[in-house]
Amino acid sequence: MTEDAFSKRHPAVNFLFFVGAIGFAVLIQHPVYLLAGALGAGIYYLLLSGRKGWKRIGMLLPLFLLLTAVNPLFNTYGKRVLFHIFGRPYTLEALLYGGAIAGVLVVMLLWFGCYNAVMTGDKFTSLFGNLIPSLSLLLVMVLRMIPGLIRKAGQITLARKAIGLGAGEQNRDKIRHGMGVLSALTDWALEGSIVTGDSMRARGYGSGKRTSFQIYRMKPGDWCLLALMGLLAAAVIAVSCLGATSAEFTPVLSIAPVSGIYALGFAAYCLYLLLPSALHIKEELQWRRSRSRI
Amino acid sequence: MKKSHIATLIVFLAVIPLTLALGSRLSGRTYYVSSTLVIAELLIPFFLAFEGRRPQARELAVLAVLCALAVAGRVAIPIPGFKAIFAIIMIAGIAFGPEAGFLVGAISALASNFFYSQGPYTPWQMMAYGAGGMLAGFLFDKNRLPRKPAVMGVFGFLAVAFFVGPLLDTCSVFLVLSKISLKGALAFYISGFSVNVTQAIATGIVLLLLGRPLLEKLERIQTKYGILEAEEGSGQI
Repeated sequence: MTEDAFSKRHPAVNFLFFVGAIGFAVLIQHPVYLLAGALGAGIYYLLLSGRKGWKRIGMLLPLFLLLTAVNPLFNTYGKRVLFHIFGRPYTLEALLYGGAIAGVLVVMLLWFGCYNAVMTGDKFTSLFGNLIPSLSLLLVMVLRMIPGLIRKAGQITLARKAIGLGAGEQNRDKIRHGMGVLSALTDWALEGSIVTGDSMRARGYGSGKRTSFQIYRMKPGDWCLLALMGLLAAAVIAVSCLGATSAEFTPVLSIAPVSGIYALGFAAYCLYLLLPSALHIKEELQWRRSRSRI
Repeated sequence: MKKSHIATLIVFLAVIPLTLALGSRLSGRTYYVSSTLVIAELLIPFFLAFEGRRPQARELAVLAVLCALAVAGRVAIPIPGFKAIFAIIMIAGIAFGPEAGFLVGAISALASNFFYSQGPYTPWQMMAYGAGGMLAGFLFDKNRLPRKPAVMGVFGFLAVAFFVGPLLDTCSVFLVLSKISLKGALAFYISGFSVNVTQAIATGIVLLLLGRPLLEKLERIQTKYGILEAEEGSGQI
């Protein structure tokens, strides 16, 4: 996702945005906030993944309905009984509660979908490289080795097939074949790891404090974005402390209204969620305009 | 006292109780938030211990290979859903001790999610996979259990079906249930059981067939190059 404007910001800005967005999504069960969260996350997810995104959103819908419908089976609190099932009351309040919880999960999964596109492995390790040097080096090495091992496993499979040891049709043969591949792969990878380790040592690993190459720098724009995010998040937290986001479903339905100063907090929340989408759209428009001038 | 020991004490005596106290004071449904924060905080002492040891280059490279093998293992066996990840984590634990087992498990879970998808379950997976590797390392350390194929196979089956799997199901319980009740939680454990048993069978088979050969390979590397050796059988790596 190199074209996305928000992804080009400093990883710290990206990471903190997701911490805020996912954190709010988990903690706030107010239906209006949930709807805003679903829209904010959905729009950004679609901007990032294009047509493929609809498929995933379509997959989330049945999950949402199922979780909503299942909740009243385990939670029988509430006054308005819709009907009885298995001798237990199925209440409207519990159904709505189920909808809220399913909504939280869906919004969270959508944000994680965006997170996966924005926070790639290199950004994650560059962000935490100074904090936990050995671990993040370990993670980088693992992430680098996995595609290599998968390629090597393909080569081993081909070689085995060529000498008549390919995987058969039956599961038994497939398992035996798989064990052979894994065994060969382990041998090859372990010897290689010793070479890697010796090479690292020869180049001075462990001889001093390890510094890491930083490709990302905080620019004035990043600081501005970070400040704006902080301001908006603080506004949401402030009205939340006043009770703007409280929503109780069982035993009695009570949801805080979105009016007066509460509406201000809600507006801040919406703005916060739309930040990445707005950046994306702004850059897209700029690009179109500058292209049409040519 | 070592730095990592102090950090462990701080996490257990201050950070976790504080999280639980704050979590119970927040309004709304905070089981998921509190439990996930506690899980993430439990990971900290392990990671700090690893950082504090300043691992050697060879050790780092071998651990990285084991993690990568655990993640890439699934492409080797052409049966959908037949995952070797738990088995390889457990073998790492058996060969190199509980701490290495935990580390390989936790890092494999994190790395595998970079290729599939990070999600609300990532800290839980890191904890559960790591705990599986640690359990294997602990039980087979100092010859508490004989390192025989059958014993390892049965251990792998039981550990995944009744320990690692349910630990992962606990994440769904906290994530999805509105009221945590024994009945609701049981429903999750029971519905997750068939999946867990499938994974457990795969783990058992891999440990039974591959446990011994892989252990021999790892032991050979260990004696040939003298890495990750236990300090006179103390279980430390």
